[in-house]
Amino acid sequence: MLMPLTRWLLLATVLPLFGQAPKLAAAPATFFPPALVEAGKEQFTQACAFCHGRDAAGGEEGPDLTRSKLVTDDVNGNLIGPVVRNGRADHGMPAFNVSQKELDSLAAFIHTQKSFMESQKGGRRGVDVSDLQTGNLEAGKAYFNGTGKCYTCHSSTGDLGDIAKRFEGLKLMERMLYPRGAKATATVTMPSGETATGTVFYRDEFTIAITEKSGRHRSWFTDLVKVSISDPAQAHVDLLAKYSDDDIHNLMAYLQTLK
Amino acid sequence: MRLIYLAILSITCAAAQGVTQKLLTNPAPDSWPGYHGDYSGRRHSNLTQITPENAGGLQLAWAYQTNQTNALKCSPLLVDGVLYITVPDNVWAVDARSGHMIWKYTYPANKGFHIGSRGVAMYGNWLYFMTPDAHLISLNASDGKVRWDIPVADSKKGYWTTMTPMVVRNHVIVGVSGDFDNLTGFLRSVDPETGKTQWKWDATPPAGTPNASTGGMTWMTGTYDPDLNLIYWGTGNPTPVLRGKSRPGDDLYTCSIVALNPDNGKLNWAFQPSPHDTHDWDAVETPVLVDGDFHGQQRKMLMQTSRNGYFFVLDRTNGKSLLTTTFGPTNWAKGVDAKGQPIPNPDKDPAPDGRLIAPDEGGMTNYRSPSFDPKTGLFLVDAHPSYGIYFAKPSDGEFGWAGADYGVWGKAVLEAIDYRTGKIKWSHELGPNGSGAGVLTTDSGVLFTGDNGGNVIAMSTADGKTLWHAGEGAGMQSSPIAYELDGREYIVTSAGSVMFAWTLPRKQ
Repeated sequence: MLMPLTRWLLLATVLPLFGQAPKLAAAPATFFPPALVEAGKEQFTQACAFCHGRDAAGGEEGPDLTRSKLVTDDVNGNLIGPVVRNGRADHGMPAFNVSQKELDSLAAFIHTQKSFMESQKGGRRGVDVSDLQTGNLEAGKAYFNGTGKCYTCHSSTGDLGDIAKRFEGLKLMERMLYPRGAKATATVTMPSGETATGTVFYRDEFTIAITEKSGRHRSWFTDLVKVSISDPAQAHVDLLAKYSDDDIHNLMAYLQTLK
Repeated sequence: MRLIYLAILSITCAAAQGVTQKLLTNPAPDSWPGYHGDYSGRRHSNLTQITPENAGGLQLAWAYQTNQTNALKCSPLLVDGVLYITVPDNVWAVDARSGHMIWKYTYPANKGFHIGSRGVAMYGNWLYFMTPDAHLISLNASDGKVRWDIPVADSKKGYWTTMTPMVVRNHVIVGVSGDFDNLTGFLRSVDPETGKTQWKWDATPPAGTPNASTGGMTWMTGTYDPDLNLIYWGTGNPTPVLRGKSRPGDDLYTCSIVALNPDNGKLNWAFQPSPHDTHDWDAVETPVLVDGDFHGQQRKMLMQTSRNGYFFVLDRTNGKSLLTTTFGPTNWAKGVDAKGQPIPNPDKDPAPDGRLIAPDEGGMTNYRSPSFDPKTGLFLVDAHPSYGIYFAKPSDGEFGWAGADYGVWGKAVLEAIDYRTGKIKWSHELGPNGSGAGVLTTDSGVLFTGDNGGNVIAMSTADGKTLWHAGEGAGMQSSPIAYELDGREYIVTSAGSVMFAWTLPRKQ
């Protein structure tokens, strides 16, 4: 028991000295004490496994944590912790009330699973970048500049000029299909005729709230004002009903060349 | 004097009686004795005090804070003025007049999946509660003390439980969950007094049977027709979940609606909403029982808005299809066969490079209850028009999940479906992503549900117009109930870890 614990403490002390976590390929397999990993596994099974899978490699809609950039960049729970404790409401993840000890064990388990999955050469489950290379580049380019009308909002030499540098694999595909978190703009006309414009902060049937350019938060009851919304991401939604699976793979082939 | 004595006697008797078969079959206005209220699964209340005209005056009677991390996903029971609510490992008895706790029971720490608890069942003065490690506990409803505790499935193999048992006479019928291993789904009927097994019905063959599917988990509460003496139950997806190669064919009885005899568990008929499912679309959504006219003929019907995006109307005497249609965008079926079952398109099976599928894995609707309003003939459902991307490849294996899927986009809409045509009469947008709230209708033409922003909303059932709303601070992950106490109608909803009771102001 003593030996592994000492080794873990050493690593835990040394790792932060390097600052930024090393790149995926060069990442050394961090070693955590088996008892800590085991405690983390029990916790993970009870609270996380349904969505993220018992092996942390994906379950019912929850992402594969063993391929997560956040987990790659995490050092002893410094990035995992805030996500667990605050949740991700926009992704349907609830917040969990965990102690530091529980968080340490959860992080130990997730990192251990990541190392284990990465050691499964060739036979690893989940979505690899290499799985998403079935499309036809020329057909994708034609779709971008034709049927898909992607060109009306995007440019392969402008906003998307380095898209393949910023996203790859599944992340790129998800972003292409629907840019989650893209902000809509609202213009609110008050009874006085005064207008206010800003990014939509919150919106339901009863309330509209915006963030103005200045950073000011403003809200109104929807029945007292006129609201007009401009949501560029809606074009992505409209395409969902039109895509063939080939269209998607071809577009992927094209976007992956934009570096 | 004699009259007063009689009145006291009858109150005492009523209090001691708890839940009887009579109450389950025909719930009194001051009770909600089973998961769905009555056996029909319509989640419809006969109460009429709250109307479209006065609903705008609804106010908070009380709120009960469970102070738990786990959100409330239960449908409360109300019996003898006491509400019973649950989250995994925990049961509370709460005074329905004041919202004060009477007692709390906590099950010992265990390693099961703590994903949800849908509530307790009751028979006599005994409660029946299921645990994350697949035990059934019988508690004394007066003080929460354990009478007995039996395992209903082996949690070490990967089973867990979340559902509310269903009581039919002297049968406590329980189902199980377990998608992460290749396990057989089943229903078990136990004796309410002793916990001894009376019968067990397996949805699928034992694990290891060549070319056969496992799965068919029974993780939601079914419905019951006392006249036909049949229980109706939805079963879950097959396993392995996303890769179907090792389980060719329809994979009976997964993703099915089955009719069983509650006395011996014998199968009477089955209908399969998703033959050979590869998208995790359990058919466990409430099989709603409606008696009424269908194109000029009086019918005993069963209706389901299924997770796969299809609305089915069946003749529940024999399982024959009366109507099959979609209630939102779907792209995974080639058509509908002669039996009224969708025909899956193999091109839409999960693949290594991904397949775009409508709806997403959470489905066009999920476990929270829809409602049927008899006056308008409308079937009200929290719908989730959505797209997801599905992956599977040989290295995902042939066990458990066996693939990956990710939601792409979705929104929340309350759909009012005319059961005679399957046409959507009106839609009410409920925000981005999804709402997940259940629906309750009442006889005065008011419905209650929730939106994506944490509002509880009352609408006019006839046209979907908003009558009232209140921000509850979190999404509703349960289905509302209604009851009457001391001449006042209450609507009980939950959001996050808080239970809310809404009512009209007391008359001065």
